Amino acid sequence: MNKQGLIKIKPYLLVLPALALAFLFCYRPFFLTVINSLSNVSLGGKRTAFVGFDNYGRLFSNASFQDSLSNTLRFTLFFVPTNIAVCLGAALLCNRKGKLASLNQVFMFLPMAVAMSSSMMMFKMMFNPSIGIMNHLLNSDIQWFSDPKAAMFLLVMAGVWLDIGFDFLLLSSALRNVPKELLEVSNLEGANPWQTFTALQLPLIGPTLLFILVNNVKDAMLISAPVLILTEGGPFRSTQTLVYQMYLEGFKSGNYALGSTIATVVFALTFIIMLLLLSLERKRVYYQ
Amino acid sequence: MKKITPLLATLFSLIVVFPIVYSFSASFFSYTDFTSIPPRFFSSQPTFSNYTRAFLESNLAGFLSNSLITATMGTLIRLSISILTAYTFTFFTFKGRDVLFVLIIATMLLPGDALLIENFITIRHLGLIDTYLGIISTSLLAPTHIFMIRQYFKMVSSEYREAAIIEGCSDSRFLITLLLPISQGVVITLALQSFTGIFNDYLWPLLVTNKESMRTVQVGITMLGFSENLDYGPQFAAITLLMTPVLIAFILLNKNIKESVSTRFTGR
Repeated sequence: MNKQGLIKIKPYLLVLPALALAFLFCYRPFFLTVINSLSNVSLGGKRTAFVGFDNYGRLFSNASFQDSLSNTLRFTLFFVPTNIAVCLGAALLCNRKGKLASLNQVFMFLPMAVAMSSSMMMFKMMFNPSIGIMNHLLNSDIQWFSDPKAAMFLLVMAGVWLDIGFDFLLLSSALRNVPKELLEVSNLEGANPWQTFTALQLPLIGPTLLFILVNNVKDAMLISAPVLILTEGGPFRSTQTLVYQMYLEGFKSGNYALGSTIATVVFALTFIIMLLLLSLERKRVYYQ
Repeated sequence: MKKITPLLATLFSLIVVFPIVYSFSASFFSYTDFTSIPPRFFSSQPTFSNYTRAFLESNLAGFLSNSLITATMGTLIRLSISILTAYTFTFFTFKGRDVLFVLIIATMLLPGDALLIENFITIRHLGLIDTYLGIISTSLLAPTHIFMIRQYFKMVSSEYREAAIIEGCSDSRFLITLLLPISQGVVITLALQSFTGIFNDYLWPLLVTNKESMRTVQVGITMLGFSENLDYGPQFAAITLLMTPVLIAFILLNKNIKESVSTRFTGR
């Protein structure tokens, strides 16, 4: 090849690795998943027949899927408000100066340093109903892993603990960016802390809160690994979520078609949420 | 109100940090410490035997080395690809550039968890089950990294590169001697983020490893075989061992971490 041709082709060669990876591990599997959701798939992963929307019909009448869908929505509904309230409360309480305050702050974001699987193993052992420390501390006899309500509550708490570090840091930094002069003025005018919060701080940290809200909804809809380690979907499928069922269908039962159908539903749900996130972010840029 | 706030904050932060402190303390428990009534927070006679047992009776050391190898390999390849791609999209003009860029960035919209089944089939076809390459394969493309590095590179005018090329400087030399030193900060941050991200990954390594000898530590730590028998000491020891270096780093770097979050996510 002559030199001119090489110069022309060079940029394409340089971006080839990234493009190849995008094709191989994102676009190709995405399209195959959607196609599989419209087909019969053998145990070996081969498509045997095109069946239209049959899998979707089967999926939505599948009792296990109905449980997964309602559990995922329930988890999202419990988790998101709890997490935001806890993280915002923590950030407000720690929004002070001094040695004690900065120690409080460090404690609040330390959970971020513990990997997900280690955290869930800690929770699993601490909440063991017979020899775990939590039942002793609470002076209770809660069957954390065999009572559906307790198991869901535990999963929500575990989710908050996994998220608190990062969301706390985001909210703390948003609160720090509220201009001091405004706070002093509101103090001089005799506003109580609640009034200062609702009239001054809340609107100013609004964009950060929105960002956290949408991200939390997305994470909650996709939750799977903590379920896998902590509750394994139990008891009686009461904590089985969408992605966890997809994992079960695809890897435990070898039911690729149904697994792919759930994956497609998950794509659609997250796509809607991501669009929401992007439009919110665009608004945020506009603000500044 | 002024007096209550520090008190509440301290109480709250102690609750948050409790699982970490308890795990640390419990890693020195003897078997009977777990079952004693009333329950203990500190061991009656602290013992290191949980740590030795965690290493001797499980494959913890092997898991740890698998994780260190895959996280290092993955970070190096991922950053090289990200830098190369960002460089090309910043300094070259070519047909279809914008479309290709969007094509790469848009992969962010596809959640990796929903791609697990098909990616697993791909890796099986390629014969990469139980290999390091299989474990890191799906983490090699990082659209957010490409995007952020490109933002940095954009600060350098492309006229600089043209001038340098005319003077006989090669692309690789321009990249290594000029661009990388000025974007050192972002590259180091992304390297750390990549390393911890790949090191902490759970679901994908779980799926693509069948042999115990290939497991990464995050997967392995859930299958050490202690907690199933309510033998919690060695399990807590393994967790403590794994989290302590990161905890120390977080405490030492706490100011930088606070700063990096505020600058990265509020765009200021």
